[in-house]
Amino acid sequence: MGLLVLLSLVLITVSFRSTALDGAQGTAAAVLRPFEVAADRVSRPFRDAAGWTRGLIDAKQDNKRLRAENAKLRQQVILEESSIQENVQLRDQLNYHGPPSVADFDQVHTVVLTKPQNAIDQSVSIGAGSSEGLRVGSVVVSPTGGLVGTVDRLFAHLAHVTLLTDNQSAVTAIDLTYPTAVGIIQPGGGGSDVLVLDLVSKTKFVAEGDTIITAGSIGKDKLPSMFPRGIPVGTVTSESSNDINPFKNIQVKPLVDFSSLRSVIVLVPKR
Amino acid sequence: MDGVKAALVLFVASLLQLAVLSEYRQFRTASIVLVALLSIALLRGSVFGAVAGFGTGLLLDTATLGTLGVTALLLTVAGFWIGRYGETTARDRFHAPYVSVAVVTVLYAFGLVALQFVLGQPAPAGLVARTLPLALLINLLLTLPVYALIRRLFPPHELGDRVREVRLLG
Repeated sequence: MGLLVLLSLVLITVSFRSTALDGAQGTAAAVLRPFEVAADRVSRPFRDAAGWTRGLIDAKQDNKRLRAENAKLRQQVILEESSIQENVQLRDQLNYHGPPSVADFDQVHTVVLTKPQNAIDQSVSIGAGSSEGLRVGSVVVSPTGGLVGTVDRLFAHLAHVTLLTDNQSAVTAIDLTYPTAVGIIQPGGGGSDVLVLDLVSKTKFVAEGDTIITAGSIGKDKLPSMFPRGIPVGTVTSESSNDINPFKNIQVKPLVDFSSLRSVIVLVPKR
Repeated sequence: MDGVKAALVLFVASLLQLAVLSEYRQFRTASIVLVALLSIALLRGSVFGAVAGFGTGLLLDTATLGTLGVTALLLTVAGFWIGRYGETTARDRFHAPYVSVAVVTVLYAFGLVALQFVLGQPAPAGLVARTLPLALLINLLLTLPVYALIRRLFPPHELGDRVREVRLLG
């Protein structure tokens, strides 16, 4: 028992303080991967059946809501397409250099291998690593485009991703409708997936339902943002202010359902 | 033989935890691995429990790409302690697996918080305290089938090793 405890402490120290064991851990995790995939495939039909049954209950309501939403979005797309064309023309005329956007990165599509394992854990492991061009700090988004988190540990064919809901995550973000409302997106605490847009001045206007996106910054600054501009983070669910707090209290519902992530896209520098 | 069986049971439990149960937020706080390990430790003793705990912890740390040794340390201590309990006061007690799972679920959760704190990682004790009742409930519900299955696979030594004859010495 004493020996095993000592061995555990040595492992913790070496693993936490250096990358000496990363190679062995990456190889062992890669060996385990087929078993995890097999377990996932065996259990998938049961989970799908449960999901299908649950989906049937909400289907009628969803259908009505989505039809209305679809009509609204169709109008919005037409307006936005003309705005994009105008934007491209004006950028060319002005020779404007803005912060990098998602289009400036290559996309690596990969599977989510393991989900958070306990209440404290806010991380997932994914099936792509340094061999696929990932770097520590690479931004991870969901297939629908919402911000998921960043790569924090890298192996040859695997990577460890810290989710946006982790206590150590912080992202500069802006309100898409009122871009002068700049703040920091942080986890709301309490174990839920709710986020908080902090440090937004009381003088700025933010409304419920607004979309929050990453602010990004031009990479030539001393401290450039890791995140390209324009990645959707979520929508504002509540906004208030009081006399004690110098900033607004803004709650944001993330676009991504972190508990049901099955695949993600990692943004890597263009080769 | 017991070692191979234990390795197989804990490997399957780990796969279940990693690939199936962690899909559901409610089950993330609970742990079928912990319940299976404690059941084996109760039936096979402290050294067996500690070794099984270390191996299982290392497997989980490796698969999740987490800090190696964290889960291994907690499960080693849990396996040893419950194994010792099984060797002494818990013999043939009906409530032993339930008491073991309840106590270790609480200690494991706060042990993890303490370890995270020592490592300088986020250690939200309040969040753990809030999710603990559900974890406790699910783990206790899992104990009934898991312990019954493991008891069939690892029959208590007392039954097999009971002295059937007396041999006079001298």
